[in-house]
Formats: sequence, C-alpha cells, structure tokens
Amino acid sequence: MSKCQSKAGQSRKAVVKISLEHEILLHPRYFGPQLLDTVKQKLYTEVEGTCTGKYGFVIAVTTIDSIGAGLIQPGQGFVVYPVKYKAIVFRPFKGEVLDAIVTQVNKVGMFAQIGPLSCFISHHSIPADMEFCPNVNPPCYKSKQEDNVIQEEDVIRLKIVGTRVDATGIFAIGTLMDDYLGLVTQ
Amino acid sequence: MADKTMPISVPSEKPLKVIKWKVKQGAFVSHGQILFLYSDSSGNNSELKKFKAVRAGTISSIKVKEGDIAEPGGCVADLEECRHPTVMKEMCAECGADLRSDEGVKHDVAIVPMVHSVPELKVSEELAQKLGREDAERLLKDRKLVLLVDLDQTLVHTTNDNIPPNLKDVLHFFLRGPGNTGRWCHTRLRPRTKVFLESASKNYELHVCTFGARQYAHAIAELLDPEKKYFSHRILSRDECFDARTKSANLKALFPCGDNMVCIIDDREDVWRHASNLIHVRPYSFFQSTGDINAPPALVDEKSKLISGKNGAQVAPNQEMPILDPEPEKTDAEVHAKDVITNTEKPSEGNNGKIISKGGLENKKDVTSEKTEGDKSNEEIAPEGQEPQWVETADGQIEVEDPDDYLIYLEDILNRIHKHFYDLYENMGRKQIPDLKAVIPEVKSKVLAGVSLVFSGLVPTHQRLETSRAYLVARSLGAEVTQDFTENTTHLVAVRSGTAKVNASRRMGDNKVNKLFVVTPEWLWTCAERWERVDERLYPLQRGSQSSSRRPPAHCSSPPPAPPAPAPAPRKRTPSGRFMDTINPLLSFSSDDIADMDREVEDIFNESDESSSDEASKPQEDDLDDEENPPEDRLLTLETEESSQERLQDPDGSSDSEGDDVLRPRKRPRKSPPPSDDDEPPDDDDSSWNLMGAALEREFLAQD
Repeated sequence: MSKCQSKAGQSRKAVVKISLEHEILLHPRYFGPQLLDTVKQKLYTEVEGTCTGKYGFVIAVTTIDSIGAGLIQPGQGFVVYPVKYKAIVFRPFKGEVLDAIVTQVNKVGMFAQIGPLSCFISHHSIPADMEFCPNVNPPCYKSKQEDNVIQEEDVIRLKIVGTRVDATGIFAIGTLMDDYLGLVTQ
Repeated sequence: MADKTMPISVPSEKPLKVIKWKVKQGAFVSHGQILFLYSDSSGNNSELKKFKAVRAGTISSIKVKEGDIAEPGGCVADLEECRHPTVMKEMCAECGADLRSDEGVKHDVAIVPMVHSVPELKVSEELAQKLGREDAERLLKDRKLVLLVDLDQTLVHTTNDNIPPNLKDVLHFFLRGPGNTGRWCHTRLRPRTKVFLESASKNYELHVCTFGARQYAHAIAELLDPEKKYFSHRILSRDECFDARTKSANLKALFPCGDNMVCIIDDREDVWRHASNLIHVRPYSFFQSTGDINAPPALVDEKSKLISGKNGAQVAPNQEMPILDPEPEKTDAEVHAKDVITNTEKPSEGNNGKIISKGGLENKKDVTSEKTEGDKSNEEIAPEGQEPQWVETADGQIEVEDPDDYLIYLEDILNRIHKHFYDLYENMGRKQIPDLKAVIPEVKSKVLAGVSLVFSGLVPTHQRLETSRAYLVARSLGAEVTQDFTENTTHLVAVRSGTAKVNASRRMGDNKVNKLFVVTPEWLWTCAERWERVDERLYPLQRGSQSSSRRPPAHCSSPPPAPPAPAPAPRKRTPSGRFMDTINPLLSFSSDDIADMDREVEDIFNESDESSSDEASKPQEDDLDDEENPPEDRLLTLETEESSQERLQDPDGSSDSEGDDVLRPRKRPRKSPPPSDDDEPPDDDDSSWNLMGAALEREFLAQD
C-alpha cells in the first residue's frame, strides 16, 4: 500500500499509527489470573478488522498502552475495562494515490480493492483510449494498440476522488485520469 | 437536466497574465485541481500563482491563451459542471461529489442500475442508452443475442432437504446466513447442462436471472461456470430484483435500448408477465419432494403442485414397465416379496425415483432390488419417463439415471431462433434490428406449419374451440385447428378412442389420399415442448386406452397455470396405497369439467347407441365414481377385450399395457390370477385408500 501525499497539500496519510481507546466488556467467569490476557485477546478480536467512520479501518493493534481499572456494572456483574492502545489504521483520503487490485470489470467501469477498501472507477475516469472488451474472458479494458490491458486481478494505481464513509464501512471512488496512474507493471 | 455551464472568471482585482494552462479543452477537472498558472500582468512580480478549480466539471472552452492578459471580471474559461451521470452509493463516480449533501436535485439523474450484481451503481438514462446501444452494436457485430437464463428448475434443481450424501452428480454447498446460521444446499445440474451452456454461449451472451438470493445465485453460477466464461458477472439475483414477483421489471434497466435482442428461458411464465420472447422450458425436477426453493413467495404452493403433477403430464404413452418377459410370475413374486420386506419402498418395476425419494429410502435398497432394477433399466426401450431412476452402484455411490433430455431440444430451439433472427437482420439490410418478441413466436409458429388439426374430447363442449388452451397451443405452433374434418385435416388429436370423430376418422382413413394421423394430446404437448414436429407414430391413440392429459402441461401452455393433468390413470400404485400419488386426473378436474365430460359422453352414447352392460354391471361403491371420467369406448372389439383381459391379469403393472403395443410386440405369456383377489395389493396398509383405489381400478378395467 503506497503512502502518498495528497495533491491538495495536506500531509494526510492513508495508513497511520494512532492511539485509540476501546472499552472491553468482560464476563465475570474470566476473573482470575488470566484476566488481563483475556482483555487483550478480546481487544484484538473486537477491534482488528473493524471500520469506523472517523479513523477508518483498524488494520492491526500494535501496542496496548494501558488497561484501566475495571468497573463492575451494577446489576450485571460484567466489568468494563477502558483500554488505550495504538493501532495501524487505514483511512483513505481524497486525492490520495493508492495501488489496488481489480476485482470486477464491467461496461460502466471497474471495481477495485485496496486492502479492505472497495473502490469504483467509472468508465469516464478511465483514459478514453481504453475500451471495454466484454467478449474476452475475463472482460477487460484495453487500449487500441492492445499494449495496455486492465483486467481482473491486475494491480492498478488510482487516485481517490471521493469517499463515502458510513458507520460500518468506507467506499471510495477512484480515477485513472492522471499522470502515472493505471496498470502497475510488475 | 440542462447543462450547467459556468464561467471561470479572473480571480483577482488586477489584470493577470496566464502563464500556463494545466488542462486542455474538454478535459475533466476535479475540485481543487490546478487549472492554470498565472502571474500579475505587470510582470514585476515573477512569482507564479496557481489557480484551482472551485468545482468539478469539464472545461468546455478556454478563452484566454497562454501569455495573454485577462482583465478582472473577464472570463478565462467555461466550466461545465459535472452532471453526475454515474453514481455509486450516492457519490458521483466521476467527480467524487457526495450527492447526499446536495439537496436532492441531482439525485434523479442517475437512476438506471445497469450492472447486474451491483444495484448501488446507477447511471443516467442518457448514459444507459449509450451503453445499451454499444451493447447492441457489439452483439450484432459478434452475431450474438442475449439469453437470460433462469437457474432453479431450468438448469438446476436444488433442495435443502436431507438427502443421502453419496448421490452421484449431486453437488453440495453451504450457504452462510446471517449470524451463525446457514443451510446446506444440494444441487443437481440438469443433464447436459455444461454442453448446453457451451453451445448456447456461442450464439448468445448469457445472463443469469434468478429469484435465488445473491449468495445462492453466485454459488450456483460458480458451479455452472467456474471459469466465469459464460456468465462473467452478469448475474441478477433476488437481491437486485426490483419486484419480488416478476423479473420483467429489471429488463428495462439491464437493456435500456429495449429487449429486442433478449431471449429468455425460464420454467415460469408468470414471472416474465408472459413475455413473448420467453421460451417456457419444462421444469427440471430431480429431488421429487422439493419444488423450486426460490419460487416467488405467493406462488410456492401452486408451484409445488405443479411439480408433483409434472411427471404425469409428461409421461408419454410408450412409457412402459420393464418386465422380464420370460418369467413374469417370478417377477411378480419377487415384487410382492420385496413389498413385504421394504414396506414403503416402491417395487423395482416402477420408474421409481419419485416415490423412493419421497420415502427417503434411496439408500436402503437391498441388493436384489438393485439388481433387478439394473437389469430392467437396460431392457427398457426408449425410456421416455421423466422420473430419475436411483441405482446404487458398487462403490457406494447412488447413481441416478436421469432421463431428462430437454436441453437437447432447448439447444436446438435456441439455435433456430438465432438463425432466424440473423436471417431477418440480413434481409433487412442490416439497418433494422428485428425484434425477438416477434421472431420467437414466428419460429414457434413454423413448428406445425401446414398441419391441420381436429380435436376430439379435448375441448369441453361448452367451451368455444378458440378459447381452449389446446387451441392456443396448437395455434402458437402454427397449426390450423378446425372444429370438424376438412379436406386438409392431417391430424386428429383425440383423448380417447371411441368418440364420434375417432370413429369417423377410421371410416375416412381409407379413402383419404393423405394419411390422417390419429394421435393423443401428448403428441401436441410434446411438440409444444420441443418445438418440433414429433413423430406421430410415437403417440398413437390406442383403442380402449384413455389419455388423461386433456390439458397441456403448464410449461407448454399459456397461463393461468392450472395443475397439469397428470399421469395416465391406472398407473402402478405406490406401495403405500396412496393412489392420489399416482392417479390424478380425477383430482385435477373441476366439477364443471366433469359435468362437461359427462355431457359429452352422453352425446356420444346417444349417437352410437351402444349397450352399456359393462357400465351397469359395475358396482358404484364409491363416491369417487361420480368424478370418474366417463366410460367411453363402447365399441368393444376383440382387440380391446384382449387388452382389458390382460390388464385384469396384471393389476400391479396395469399401465404397462397402455402404450407399448406399437413398440413392442405383445407377447407376454402370463398366468391369469383371479382378478378380484389380485386387485388388492398385498402391501397395502391404508385400508380406506386401498378400498378407493380398488374401486377405481375396477372402474378403469370395466371401461375397456
């Protein structure tokens, strides 16, 4: 995943390590010598792979800074532990250039995947000399000279022009209409 | 929506000098992109400044050349605002603008979800038209057409029931539901499916169009087409359907330029609103207890009825029980013995996939029954039955003989349609695109062109010929149908022998120049199903036999889909004695129908003035008798007597004597057990059914 500065000049990065907080709700049956291990374990399973609109996708927890004092919930017996941790998060920004894997090619455009992030590139945002060829398997976008072919599973470099951030996920719109964008030859 | 062009005016109070344009005319610029570099016109300040676009759009014209001076308030360029022709999740896929924040004005531009599996991706009407046109051009160039393929019961049959894990050629997969739930699906591909897809994909662009959930549709598509070479991503599932009951609503979106080149294969006519470009295929049913697991909700019941009746409607008269000729007594004995042993299991003579699967006993077959069955299926001549046969092989796999061969005919139909379409296209000088909605009926109407039919016993007397389904089916195949014999009559389609018309045809038959075929309605239904003129010799009208299929099976008729008239009546009874499972015409006729039949028979009686001693002697012990088909053939010839004799001798396999005469010489030496005793199958446990069944059987026998 490439990190890149956006054209707009902000030095926002797609992948960053930030401090986050999370509350772990623990059943009393876990009380015992392994309690803190359980809390850590639970943190990993609960936050890794999730997506928040604010910070983006939590890729991995790197360090657990502190596990606060547990607070027993009145009437339940459950304990809430406030946990502070550092995690690598992935948050796409407008204007970023990223590498993606093409997942679907159709006449309206193509879909690509940037790690956990789905991205759509409209036909208009694909250079005009590239035409959609539905008859080959798999379908592809091909330039007239046939020297430039984008099909499923290919790696492309795209620029994000817009993101839709929901509570549970992020979706991006990309473009190939800029210098040095398009198929990444490996 | 009108184009919104807005001028880009000079950004400062003072005149400025445009140093370098960073964009070209016609280029698309996004918000914040640098348009040009400029400096103060005085030239003193050499520092270059960047001018960024304030909105996304297309530069429609550049009015100031590089190096020129632009006055304040003057226009530097025109920017055509993005009209958001492609929208993904309410975001413009071209400029990236979030359309949710825009005050709803532009939401209506992109409304057509053109991509099968991604309903969130919408394009504008205009763009859809353009893409549709491109598609059509490409198809014409490649000489292809579009084929929408239904999955359930057209190409595959899936069940969620528990089935033996060792069924051969049945694929199993697990669909994960929400949470930890999920279900196992067991799918059987229709025989020849892969060959069919391969061949169809040469002339057609294949699309899946199913009412299955998206996950299911993709799983099946993966089974059918692991390399994605037939369907690619063209899979439309329930999740993308606009309407839970019809698929036709999506056509407009998928094919914005019209469905001129779209051909549909489906086992359900109603979901397409009886479109004329639909080829109604015979439903494929393998797991007999399961219908279409993805049938539209309101119609599930009707559907399952349809399936249970399906076999009967399709059974051709030449279907026969494989009986070992040389030693019939032994077979009988064997059968009875087996009946006793495996009580609910169907004896081996039957084409028994249906019953056995109902009992769920496939894998319990004992060795003898397997063996006998194996022998017998070899001996079967032209197995026309549609019921799969279940045979367990030595390696523990249950091998199922599935005589369904419909895809052969479907392939042929599709090829004919394709040829006809492109012949027309060439004839019209490649300027006009023919419409498959007209082409397909035209192809169909060639099937029986030049044939002139007369129906006998097929249309109730109170109904006008023109309104009957049989008439419509025949007309759609291009046949003439007349009320009475004419010079040109080529076929008499008769439900039973002994009607006035059948008798007349016999008299006429001799002095006519052209041969007059006397066939059963199955002939017509088979023609309608296969879209070809089937050899009449396969469907002769037998004296003394009665074909119960007055009505076309659902898949070769126009709606409303009534339960098709099922099996020829005196069929092999199930061991459970539930004759409802096997005989059915009585149950599918409405009381009106029955009244009509009665009236019709009365007419015939009056005409032919025959004795009805048989009728009189027959005990009327069951109220079902009232619903009985009227006894018809009073012209008892020696031959029919003989056949009835034979039937009496063989109450267990009585249906075998119905249609085999043509194909097989009648040479079955058989002991004649006393009919009345043998009427009672020994394995019957349900005595009331038994009684009714016996009464019914006697009734049928008495008719002959």
